[in-house]
Amino acid sequence: MIRAATKSVDDTRDLAAEVAALLRAGDLLVLAGDLGSGKTAFVQGLARGLGVTEPVTSPAFVLVRTYPGRLPLVHVDVYRLDHLQEVVELGLPELVDEEGVAAIEWGDVVLPTLPADFLEIRLEQGDDDDDRTVAFDAVGPSWAPRMAALGRAVGAWAVEV
Amino acid sequence: MLILGIETATQQVGCAIGGHEGVRASFHAAHKRRHVETLVPAIEFVCRQADVALSDIGAVCVDVGPGLFSGLRVGVVAAQAMAQALRVPVIGVPSLDLLAFPVRHTSRLIVAAVDARRGELYYAFYRQVPGGAQRLSPYRLGTPEELGSELVAMGEDYLLVGDGAVRYPELLRELTGSDSGGPATAYPSAAALVELAHPLALREEFVPSWELEPLYLRKSDAEINWEARTAPDWAVGA
Repeated sequence: MIRAATKSVDDTRDLAAEVAALLRAGDLLVLAGDLGSGKTAFVQGLARGLGVTEPVTSPAFVLVRTYPGRLPLVHVDVYRLDHLQEVVELGLPELVDEEGVAAIEWGDVVLPTLPADFLEIRLEQGDDDDDRTVAFDAVGPSWAPRMAALGRAVGAWAVEV
Repeated sequence: MLILGIETATQQVGCAIGGHEGVRASFHAAHKRRHVETLVPAIEFVCRQADVALSDIGAVCVDVGPGLFSGLRVGVVAAQAMAQALRVPVIGVPSLDLLAFPVRHTSRLIVAAVDARRGELYYAFYRQVPGGAQRLSPYRLGTPEELGSELVAMGEDYLLVGDGAVRYPELLRELTGSDSGGPATAYPSAAALVELAHPLALREEFVPSWELEPLYLRKSDAEINWEARTAPDWAVGA
């Protein structure tokens, strides 16, 4: 696990933009953390890092938004859903297959519907109001070999685990 | 009765119009999965080419999958909307049946396989019967290896159709005497959809438009455990 600390919303976005450089087509990012912990801000940073020029807003009500960039970014929020079948019917595997990168807010609560191969990004409140800790954990084969590179990419924000 | 067929279950988007005299006009495009952008202009195009006003349409039929969820939603919603606006009934036909129908004249086992992405296929087996192809198995979701071992176990020559056949050509090497339909049979045909739906319409095998649902085949009965959705401590000032 890699742990980083950010000091503001913009700082979280800057961190995420560095992570974006490591993304490959087909990647799945599971974003975990309470309301207001910065999941959407993290995705905004990813989008900037992927060269997305459109503004990224929360997909909580439309469920899925796709943005063109170096890789298409599929931004998903399952907060409004109540049944796993509703998540299944979003068809997430086909949205990311071979073409794009999916970032799923609240993905940790719908893990049974997701391929078991993703990077979990968990955001938590730090000591001060605007402080956040960001923990990265590789689940499955596609991220494990990239964790060293991820550690270097977020080195400026790294804290001891 | 004139029937409009809507087909969006795979990367391809298609539509066709026809009736007792056969298919009058059809359109298919398989470039870049542009279901939303293409479908409605394509319907206008085939109606114009076939000299059909929307008010002449007597029923709407739609491919209900299994297939790409994003495409199925577009097709099913379009069919529901048109059926309600035109006050006509709807008919749903599964994608795998549509793939088997045009190759029904082969005496071999017909294997219809749609690419489900992420290393899986939707598939079913069919055999020629007078007037059509009869399905021998349930609609299944499985890996190419699972389908391959079923084919080995069945031990007979088969014809493989659908974009699953194009994506996983190694399935064919499992047995000799078998063949793939290749790109020509990769996608369900909207023309076959109209042809198949016509006798169903004459027998009035309709479904209420609000009951029409895509055949997803991926099932999960559980509710989401939303402990997390209660407000966190810091947000309620604890």
